[in-house]
Amino acid sequence: MSGDQSSKGILSFVPLFGPFLILWFIFWLVPLFTGLELSFTGHVSEMASDGAKVGEYKATWGNYQAALGDAKWVKSLGNTTLFVVGSITSTLTLSFFLASVIFRMHRVSQAICLFLLIVPSLALPGTLAKLFYLFFHGKSGVLNQFLVMPLGFQQVNWMMNPDWILPCLVFQSVWRWTGLITLLLFCGMQAIPRWQFETASLEGANRGMVLQTILFPGVRHLLWFAAIFLLVDGVAAFSGAYNLLGGSGGVLDAGLLFVTYVYQVAFPGGSGRFDLPLASAMSLAVAIATTGIAYFLIWSSSKKGVAR
Amino acid sequence: MFKFLSRICLLMVLLLTTYPFLWMFFSSFKTNQEIYRTAHIIPKFFNFFAYKLLFSNDLIKFDEVLLRSLFLSGGQAVLACLVTAATGYAIAVGRFWGKRLLFLAAMLLILYPKQALSLFLFEWMVRLGITGSLYGLLFSGVASGLGVVFFAQVFKKIPPELVDLARLEGKSHFGCFLTFLPLVKPALITYGILHFLLSWQEHLLPLLVLKSDELTLPLALAKLSDSSYRIPEAVGLAAGVVALLPMLILFGISFKRIRSALSDWVVS
Repeated sequence: MSGDQSSKGILSFVPLFGPFLILWFIFWLVPLFTGLELSFTGHVSEMASDGAKVGEYKATWGNYQAALGDAKWVKSLGNTTLFVVGSITSTLTLSFFLASVIFRMHRVSQAICLFLLIVPSLALPGTLAKLFYLFFHGKSGVLNQFLVMPLGFQQVNWMMNPDWILPCLVFQSVWRWTGLITLLLFCGMQAIPRWQFETASLEGANRGMVLQTILFPGVRHLLWFAAIFLLVDGVAAFSGAYNLLGGSGGVLDAGLLFVTYVYQVAFPGGSGRFDLPLASAMSLAVAIATTGIAYFLIWSSSKKGVAR
Repeated sequence: MFKFLSRICLLMVLLLTTYPFLWMFFSSFKTNQEIYRTAHIIPKFFNFFAYKLLFSNDLIKFDEVLLRSLFLSGGQAVLACLVTAATGYAIAVGRFWGKRLLFLAAMLLILYPKQALSLFLFEWMVRLGITGSLYGLLFSGVASGLGVVFFAQVFKKIPPELVDLARLEGKSHFGCFLTFLPLVKPALITYGILHFLLSWQEHLLPLLVLKSDELTLPLALAKLSDSSYRIPEAVGLAAGVVALLPMLILFGISFKRIRSALSDWVVS
């Protein structure tokens, strides 16, 4: 490869990576430290007892302690964990199945199926929420009409039943991402060398064996990539739940996701608490945990020799 | 038998995926009463009142909303392509101190994305005095970790001999990058469209940063769906159709290129 190892080498590359680094610094690193500083700004109750001005900087763990003692935050974390796990497992399973079916089809059918599948990924999450509300939800909604009632069950009021709110949010996420992940996995399957299938065919391997020994190992690195993408996206999920539940957590906060709650704590648009330091502490704690989990996923995938 | 069953499953998923959007299109011509009878797809009359109301600017200035979203997403996509492709090229081709740190910076952007940072970004923008600025919002979304990692893989495929040859001809690294840029056109288009899509769908940061009367499409859709405004459902659905169209056209035109670029990327 070209390029110099000397200090002159880095200087000649500065015009290339300089703009990225500047933008990364201004819009990622500095805001992160701003959040860190905010999260250590005196908590409201402490400031009141000290007679200090609220919002005045005073290094304290008060916001982190307050976050841990906040039952609603803990609930939102539990909901988000279920949402993320549900979305990742359902989306990856369905996408792998669909990609393996489409992989065996004719070229033209492949293109049509893949394009139709990604349509929900192209829609705004708000559109998906509205469609869910009008099309799937409700007494005359498709879910009740074609799934629940034919099986002999009572109609379900999906968004008013705390047991069903979270599965509805997971459904939206699966609906949104399955097409794009299927496309990615399909491209991965196409990249598997032909001779592997020919050898399997000569050895009389059945469909299940091909799936298990060729297709799955062939796209395993992409499944890890998709899992990390869905993890990060799921933790930061806001728009779908915001549109469906109007910025609240729904009945008994059953659909209260982490970002929605942070929004409620931080801004008057939510509950009106306007407690930015507490919201920062909540956000940062989750960010560190999520980054740690994602890093662990990358590390374990490379350990297993999955990542290429 | 397994083949038959799996094809039936695929058909059902396809139906579940696309039928609601057909229903949305037809329902944008319906009255509320018709919309609530979900089972019927074709409206009695094709009434364009929802589209007329949407673009009449009586509810919200929808044409401005559309232009704002196009400007934001388009601007971000073009700038992100150039900035992240240049960084990806530096990582792929260069051998300099700090290269690993640069890659780490990009990875951190993926693991802790802007969406999760919205609250801090908002506070930082308040301190900078750029809340309400469309340009502030635009530039905040240009640096993308995914883009850097994507282009680093793409440029690794350029033979080192070719880079050396260009260097021997006296070209700077920036000059080499500009020379090789047309070679990765499918990757540029693919990433540009993906970035456009993610920016098009962004909700939280514009909600925090922009003035309440300066909406982007996701914010406008949330406003049109707000039951307290008593806006006919067809208007929200019409907005959904209008918001989906540019993405469908973009993906439709470049779907083949996107597939080929993704296929190249997944093997690298």
